[in-house]
Amino acid sequence: MTKLNVQDLHLSYGDNAILKGVSMQLQQGEVVSLLGPSGSGKTTLLRAVAGLEAPHRGSIQVEDKTVYDGIARHEVPAERRNLGLVFQSYALWPHRTVFDNVAYGLKLRRTPSGEIRERVDAALKNLGLGQLGERLPHQLSGGQQQRVAIARALVYNPPVILMDEPLSNLDAKLREEARAWLRELILRLQLSALVVTHDQNEAMAMSDRILLLNNGVIEQQGTPQQMYGQPRTLFTADFMGSNNRIEGKLSEVRGSAALLAGDGWSLWGETHGAPKQGGADATGMIRLERVRVAEGPGDNHVRLPLVTSMFLGDRWEHLFHLGSSRLRAYGSAPLAAGEHWLEIPRNALWVF
Amino acid sequence: MRAALPRVGVVTLTALAVFLPLGLIFYQSLLNLPFFMPNKTVGVGAFQFVFADSDFWDSLRNSLVIATAMAVIAVPLGAILAFLMVRTDLPGRRWIEPVLLIPVFVSPMVLAFGYVVATGPVGFYSVWAKQLFGSVPWNVYSLTSIAIIAGLTHVPHVYLYSSSALKSLGSDVEEAARMAGSSPFQVARDVSLPMVMPSLLFSGVLVFFLGFEIFGLALVLGDPEGHLVLATYLYKLTNKLGIPSYHLMAAVAVCIVAMTFPLVMLQRVLLKNAGKYVTVKGKAGRQRPLPLGRWRWVATAIVALWLFLTVVVPLTGITLRAFVTQWGEGVRLSEVWTLHHFREVFNQPTLVRGIVNTVLLGVVGGAVAVMCYTAIGLATHRKNDGWSRFVDYLVLVPRAVPGLLAGLAFLWVFLFFPPLQPLRATIVSLWVAYTVVWLAYGMRLVSSSLLQVGPELEEAARSAGATQSQVSRHVTLPLIRYGLLASWLLVFMIFEREYSTGVYLLGPGTEVIGSLLVSLWSTGGADMVAALSVINVVLVGIGLAIALRFGVKLHD
Repeated sequence: MTKLNVQDLHLSYGDNAILKGVSMQLQQGEVVSLLGPSGSGKTTLLRAVAGLEAPHRGSIQVEDKTVYDGIARHEVPAERRNLGLVFQSYALWPHRTVFDNVAYGLKLRRTPSGEIRERVDAALKNLGLGQLGERLPHQLSGGQQQRVAIARALVYNPPVILMDEPLSNLDAKLREEARAWLRELILRLQLSALVVTHDQNEAMAMSDRILLLNNGVIEQQGTPQQMYGQPRTLFTADFMGSNNRIEGKLSEVRGSAALLAGDGWSLWGETHGAPKQGGADATGMIRLERVRVAEGPGDNHVRLPLVTSMFLGDRWEHLFHLGSSRLRAYGSAPLAAGEHWLEIPRNALWVF
Repeated sequence: MRAALPRVGVVTLTALAVFLPLGLIFYQSLLNLPFFMPNKTVGVGAFQFVFADSDFWDSLRNSLVIATAMAVIAVPLGAILAFLMVRTDLPGRRWIEPVLLIPVFVSPMVLAFGYVVATGPVGFYSVWAKQLFGSVPWNVYSLTSIAIIAGLTHVPHVYLYSSSALKSLGSDVEEAARMAGSSPFQVARDVSLPMVMPSLLFSGVLVFFLGFEIFGLALVLGDPEGHLVLATYLYKLTNKLGIPSYHLMAAVAVCIVAMTFPLVMLQRVLLKNAGKYVTVKGKAGRQRPLPLGRWRWVATAIVALWLFLTVVVPLTGITLRAFVTQWGEGVRLSEVWTLHHFREVFNQPTLVRGIVNTVLLGVVGGAVAVMCYTAIGLATHRKNDGWSRFVDYLVLVPRAVPGLLAGLAFLWVFLFFPPLQPLRATIVSLWVAYTVVWLAYGMRLVSSSLLQVGPELEEAARSAGATQSQVSRHVTLPLIRYGLLASWLLVFMIFEREYSTGVYLLGPGTEVIGSLLVSLWSTGGADMVAALSVINVVLVGIGLAIALRFGVKLHD
């Protein structure tokens, strides 16, 4: 069942177009991440769904209810959309206790007070906040505040829960734990969630589907595996991982194979995106983890001078120069100074 | 977007309260006789009469001279004071801060009386000076003295704006200059002052503008030698022709507004620029004050001299005068002590009613006024549409109308519209006038509280299902309640201090200390004036003490 259906949404601030026709769906029990660099419009899209920003074209449906329709000039105000929204800053009301913060949505829905107590207690318990009901928000740690914000958005069972960078206010260490916890919570409660994030690892770990936004349009969407493994554009490829970017010219094109060449080197790769002619400028892209330090020469091998090796804890990162580009590769041990052979698998070098 | 009904109501009422009196002034200025006369006709006779009067041109010239002198005196002094207080290790900064603001909260009428009884021909300080030097080396009634006193008493206005600009200036820009090798005073000259220049420019225009509003000082100090300014010229017109010369007064009022309104609009533009370099940073307070070294004592002396001239002299003068039977050469203080004046004040029902009314107006009226300001604030809160922009300009309009004119205009409103006449003789008429006169001030207090509420706190309530009015009642108002209490206190002090707005509304039932002072002064009751002034200062002092006790910020 489709929980959320956005069609051709346009939104602008004055002359500045923020969303330029975005369409997306969210199914029951699905987690969709809105990913993109800052200014791509991902938070604006979330806020437009929530009813906090006013689009000027397109439509938004929550379950089977139309909450925005640009043609019919129909707009349901935020408070009547019955959605749950978790803010980046949590936005807990500082003058209300944790219990009152969570209970507010139920009070507005005229739930009997006995039931309110039951449901708030259940929500707090669900989120591991059992004993904290009488505290004020400022007496909680950052992680606890985040859970209260989630409890507050969940307690009245909204059909869709919207989260705006839910993890970005936590410190790096806590964030990874919270990510796993949040994914587990979403699965356990079978929530349908739309999550905004700018961190591709977070998006891949948490969601069933990723929508990559760029400059107000959807660049590509798909499962995390598709987004990472089969990027259709240079932007997607670049955004979704740690990459080596190699600038060169196409010296030969054979079907989907292309020979990318530069000053004193040439490498075979697979063409992606729009087809190109031989002689054109092109960009090669290869994930760091796909470059391998080899023992000696071989197919699609290249010999490069080592600049330095950096220790990352669980592995080493080696830095080489390839013409005017830099090439980085992971390894398990430091390398001796001098030149080394690197293996670039043909199917791992994407040529755009 | 369709505006909600309560919102339309609030905006319409505000617009009525602002434009009705103003419209009446314009209407009256274009009549040849007061509006209640049956044989009035439309024409520009009133303007012709006023423009033919040499007193009008004299008062206009005097107003210009005083306003210019005020800006010239107050801006540099205020800027120096702000730099000393905010950036240096000036001794005693903690207790100087509230004392600095006294001239803002004490009625100019009281300050003016203070100067007369302290430094007039037989004032306390004049007599002491005569004993020292053989003659009095100053004449407090000259135009120069009036301009200097007006300048000195407006230093705090400049101080307020430049100090808050200095405080919000991130310390990093100054530290960067120090690292690049400039000395503390080069930092002030090359970085700090240029960066607060927009604020200084704004406060210069503000002080110049306030110069046109000056009434109490010029009334009290300008009278003996006949120096008129625009506001006192208007006041004197009341009795010039024997009958109420409303049309002439309206013509002068239009002339005054024609000068003040552009200045208010200019201030608005400048204020937008004033924030240009401001970076809100929590770190600003933690920086190390600049050591003054041996300049420390020079700086202290300058501040002490200014405080002595603007606070100590008038306030001690008025206090001494309230407790002595008479004063002059050869009179010994110890022989003339008395409490008689205060007993006299409390024996006169009019004066007692005036005191009660003043307190009521401040406490109850202040609270209701803050509620009105809050309603207006909420009507435009987080809504950036035509209505909000309209209200933005709307609240500025009363700013251009000096209290004396506003009081006159409201008197006319109450006379002109028969259904309103029963309110004329009640304190409600005063309350309406006070609330409209201080609209811009009150709105600034309330909206600065409103701006501190994070938008996401309200959005969170809306997405939880709260309507606009539920958001206001459940989230916004509870969050700003302390801000509103503080605003109430500040509005209380301003209402206690106000004097000119009540002048034309003064009548049985509408006495307040401020307007009683003006009327007692013209009938020559110096004893009563002194005693009432002291009571007025005490009332303001109570407000100030509460504010300091609870750490209410007296300015932003």
